[in-house]
Amino acid sequence: MRNRVTSIKKLAVVSLIVITLFMITACGAEDGISKNLLTSKEDNRKVVNMFSPMEKTQPDVENVARSASDKTVIMAEEKLNVKVEYITYTAEDYEEKTYDQIALDRARNNMDDIYLLNPDIIQTLGEEGKLMDLSGLDCAKNLRDVIKTANTVNGKLVAIPQEVVAYGLFINKDIFDKCNLELPETPEDFLECCKVLKENGYETPIGANRWWLETFVLAQAYADMYNGGDTEAEIEALNSGERKYSDYMRPGFEFLKELIDQGYIDAKTAYTYEAIDGEGPDFMAQKTPMVMAYWGAANTDTAYGATDFELQVIGFPTERGQMPVLPMTGFAIGAEAEHAEDAIRALDVMLSDEALQVYTETNKVISPSKNVEVDCVPALKPLNDRIKENTYVLATNASMKVEQWGNTCLIVRKLLNGATVDQCMEEFDKLQEESLSK
Amino acid sequence: MKKKQTKSRKNNTLPLLFSIIIVFCMLATIVFTVARKISTEMSASAIQNLSESLDLMKGTIEAILSKEAEFQKLIAQELVMLENPEDFIQSYDRNSTMVRLTLILSGETEGVSNTGEVLSEEELDFSSGKTVDGLPISQSYMNYMGTWAYSMKCPVIKDNQELGTLYVEYIYDTFEESLPKGFYNGRAMFYIMDAKSERLVLKPKGMGERSAGHLNLKDFYRANDIWEQDLRIEVFECVKNGTNFLFYHDIRGKNSLNYMWSLNQGSLYMIGYVPIEAIQQEGRAVNQNILIVVVVMLTAFFLCCMLYYFNQRQQNKIRREREKEREIHNHQLAEALQAAQIASNSKTTFLSNMSHDIRTPMNAVLGFTTLLAKDADNAEKVREYTKKITASGQHLLSLINDILDVSKIESGKVVLTIEEFTLNDLVSSVDAIIRPMANAREQKFHVEVTGIQHEYLLGDETRINQILINLLSNAVKYTPEGGNIWFRIIGLKQRSSQYEHIRIEVEDDGYGMTPEYLKTIFDAFTRAENSTTNKVQGTGLGMAITKNIVELMGGTIDVSSEVNHGSIFKVELEFRIPEGRSIKKFWQERGISQILAVDGVKESCKNIQILLKETGVQADMASCFEEAMRLIKDHNDEKYQMILLDWDMMDMDGIQNIKKIRETLPNSVPIILLSVHGSEGLEEVLKLENTGILTKPFFVSACTEKLLEMQAKSEGEHISEDNTEENLEGLHFLAAEDNMINAEILKEILSMEGADCEVVENGQLAVERFISATEDEFDAILMDVQMPVMNGYEATRAIRALDRKDAEEIPIIAMTANAFAEDQKAALDAGMNVHLPKPIDVELLKKVIRECVQERNKK
Repeated sequence: MRNRVTSIKKLAVVSLIVITLFMITACGAEDGISKNLLTSKEDNRKVVNMFSPMEKTQPDVENVARSASDKTVIMAEEKLNVKVEYITYTAEDYEEKTYDQIALDRARNNMDDIYLLNPDIIQTLGEEGKLMDLSGLDCAKNLRDVIKTANTVNGKLVAIPQEVVAYGLFINKDIFDKCNLELPETPEDFLECCKVLKENGYETPIGANRWWLETFVLAQAYADMYNGGDTEAEIEALNSGERKYSDYMRPGFEFLKELIDQGYIDAKTAYTYEAIDGEGPDFMAQKTPMVMAYWGAANTDTAYGATDFELQVIGFPTERGQMPVLPMTGFAIGAEAEHAEDAIRALDVMLSDEALQVYTETNKVISPSKNVEVDCVPALKPLNDRIKENTYVLATNASMKVEQWGNTCLIVRKLLNGATVDQCMEEFDKLQEESLSK
Repeated sequence: MKKKQTKSRKNNTLPLLFSIIIVFCMLATIVFTVARKISTEMSASAIQNLSESLDLMKGTIEAILSKEAEFQKLIAQELVMLENPEDFIQSYDRNSTMVRLTLILSGETEGVSNTGEVLSEEELDFSSGKTVDGLPISQSYMNYMGTWAYSMKCPVIKDNQELGTLYVEYIYDTFEESLPKGFYNGRAMFYIMDAKSERLVLKPKGMGERSAGHLNLKDFYRANDIWEQDLRIEVFECVKNGTNFLFYHDIRGKNSLNYMWSLNQGSLYMIGYVPIEAIQQEGRAVNQNILIVVVVMLTAFFLCCMLYYFNQRQQNKIRREREKEREIHNHQLAEALQAAQIASNSKTTFLSNMSHDIRTPMNAVLGFTTLLAKDADNAEKVREYTKKITASGQHLLSLINDILDVSKIESGKVVLTIEEFTLNDLVSSVDAIIRPMANAREQKFHVEVTGIQHEYLLGDETRINQILINLLSNAVKYTPEGGNIWFRIIGLKQRSSQYEHIRIEVEDDGYGMTPEYLKTIFDAFTRAENSTTNKVQGTGLGMAITKNIVELMGGTIDVSSEVNHGSIFKVELEFRIPEGRSIKKFWQERGISQILAVDGVKESCKNIQILLKETGVQADMASCFEEAMRLIKDHNDEKYQMILLDWDMMDMDGIQNIKKIRETLPNSVPIILLSVHGSEGLEEVLKLENTGILTKPFFVSACTEKLLEMQAKSEGEHISEDNTEENLEGLHFLAAEDNMINAEILKEILSMEGADCEVVENGQLAVERFISATEDEFDAILMDVQMPVMNGYEATRAIRALDRKDAEEIPIIAMTANAFAEDQKAALDAGMNVHLPKPIDVELLKKVIRECVQERNKK
């Protein structure tokens, strides 16, 4: 005991000495060598401007999808010593210009270096020659064929995605179970489900926005062509005018019309709703049992990643069963980009297998690289199973002369706005004629 | 007292603790005040800093706007000069500042732009009424380039006639070039907002979080968690009035300064936030340094407190120890006082007892002296009276001896005289004294010795004797007639090979003692008092003397007793074993290496074996006579060189049995019988050849002596006690004695013995007389010690120093009242032959003189 006390006392004295020395040392001034007081270094990093959509940030919520993309950007920045500046645009309401329109304007006016574009814009800009051919990038060698096919315009690979975006039907499984409903396989099943749900007090069983209803139509339209038909021959027939797009589209539009007529979709609100922002809150609040959305929404807390109910994502019900719809968004570089060289290098890193591995693992999506594969979240399993079986519909195909994704979206909006199915089909015929006349 | 001290300590600690808390509080208050002051100043500084930065940017942007307006006016003036202004416009290439120029001629609603597009006046919204240098500025809109833009219109006037209006479109992106790169090191968020639509029209590169892409003010509020309605209303009012607004709000967990800074009279706003830590980078360092200083100071203070605390604790401990010591002292003093009081009381009682005890024999002496005078003619009565006077005198003497012994011990003057002794001598002398006393009271006295490994030891035999005599005489005294007394010497396990560890037990089945008395038995001047023991005479000092001597020898004494059942005293002592003593030689010389011990008690046999171990002699054991015979015969009568035989074991046929052994063994083999005192039939045994008797218990030394005696006997040497020379007939003594009565007594006694004595009064005279005497004139000198002129020691030394033959040889016998062992030693040291304490025991005197004279004669 006495020894311990002595030790503590010794320690205390030593500590006091150390403190005193520390204080005395701290009083000493440091002699500077240089008289120049400026020490800050200039940031000599090269800048690459990237135009991409930005989901609305929410306080204290991490956007996983965004984070995944950011990780690849940071990877490129670190590897190449460049700085990628984000430029974004979001329409305040449906009356304002859309992201796609702005992307189109910016690319045409050569405002940025890298663009994240939707399929219709890729096709438009690709045809206008405003996008650079990316087939020479190292990362392009690893791409799956379906990706190359979907993003090749006039023989140029004009865009490369970071993920294979798959659209599906997001279902509140708890509500379905409560109403004793099986997951729908066919349009008939789906109608029955909607009927039962409506009877159970769900006023609008399907939540929809002005952007993604075309997935419904496209699934009905091309389920046979991509799964069982002679795809190339049929596309050739469409491109030559032997067959009509309207013939393919009609069943989908009629089905959609029926859903609207039956009150399963509220056309009025859908026409004005932005993606997720509009229909999302009701789905999360379990007022709406079903919505349409893309794969990543199931992983993202800002979308449908953190539901209070069991979520199941299935393909759209068609005569060929549940059908995922795959549009191809992708990164493109302006043909006359100001920082073209740095943009190419940056994109090559962002789309490399290493970056895609990080992206895919973070976002739990299907990678465009044949070398990267990760498990998906349980909710996406039904959708993923179908894709693995090679059962899906391409929502965009650059080999089709009539752009599908954007045009179908616009025509669906017309249907929402009160046009008849026939009027919508006329629009398709008109587009086909225009394409044939080029 | 203790409680008072504890309370006092607590009273001391509380103010100290309170003071420390006060100091801490003061320190905390100072630190808090300083920190708050610094914080306030830093906040003001941050606001000023940000305001200045925003003002600077505002100035820049407004200058750009102003220049744009000015340039637009110049173009408008230029257009006036041209014949075909529309052609000029269409040929004007767009640049990074003016991305579109359109001229709408008066009277028309549309005009063709330099981009080839047709611009309608309705497409632009100038409803805000805001202007730049007098030119109306439109509301912001997304232009054909996919970026936010604004337009200013300028009338084209020629000769006071308006030819048309020049619309020039500018993009906000051009501001970027003029704004600082990385506002607050890229940590500040910065937007330019169109005041009317509340749309965020520019986010310069590198400003704020790049993953934040805010849409409008509402979105800005939502993303940054700004929900306070009153705040929003206030902001709204400011925007409406075109004034600036600055407020604190946490943005993503960081305290931030949020700003709404008006541009161009409020048509545009700079909005955003700056984390405080980004503005107050140095503030953070200052705070950290203050914190470090505070922590260091607190640590130093704490360490000082700790040192002070330990110091105080040590002081308290020392104080407590001192108090404790003082308490012990006080306690000891109180005890001493009590002891002194008890001693005083005891001494008072003792004096009272002594008065009684001394007066009693004195009364007898005086009484019988009176009777003696009266019956002087009756020889028989005279003898009886003198016998009783002698007895009373001896009792008085023992009383005085004890008193003197105690005073000696108490004054610490006792010194032990360590010499070699044997347990045999010790036991024999004690036995010789106690046994007659016990026999006189018809008590049985048992002596037992067990487990002793060494009987030759170093110690003060006289004092050990004193202990044993005290204990045993008490046992005899306090045991009724016919009782038993046990005297045991037990060898205990040695603690060191150099020391024999012995326990002496004295047990009796006498009166015993009460527990109360047991507590004071070893105190001086106490004596067991009851109706039974009152008959017993004594000083009550014996046990105190005993205990003191035992403790002086480094031993312990314990007693346990029960009334009417007896007592047992246990004394444990350690005696050093003398080195270099070899008793093997004696036995080897006599060719004795193997003996047979015959004893019915197994324990006794074992003791014999243990004791003989030191001699190197092997002892076979037989528990009965028959077994003994068998062993002797088994070894053809040759194995044993000596037989030890327990006499008490044998019955009436004892003598026959010994004869049988003797018949078997040659006469050269000694047979020694072990017997207790008073055994019968031994006379016959002594007649047998080479046979001796030893009193129990068995000791090697006794056995050795007995063998020597038997050897001498067999060699025909006549050993006899010379009783014929007991008287002192014809001897002539010189006596030095200053007390005339004593001198007279001495003279008379010696004359009664037929001796002649010449008395001188002091040592000086004795020396002179001896010098003047012829050689061998005196047979011995009887010398008192305490004498005037020259004491006995000096006189002895003087005589011994004389240069004559008889000066060295003449026996000088000290006869002194200085009766202690030290006195005895002093006497011997001075050159005296013998020391005889006064009063003179005539028999002893005769014996001593005879021995001394015989010794001298031998020489």
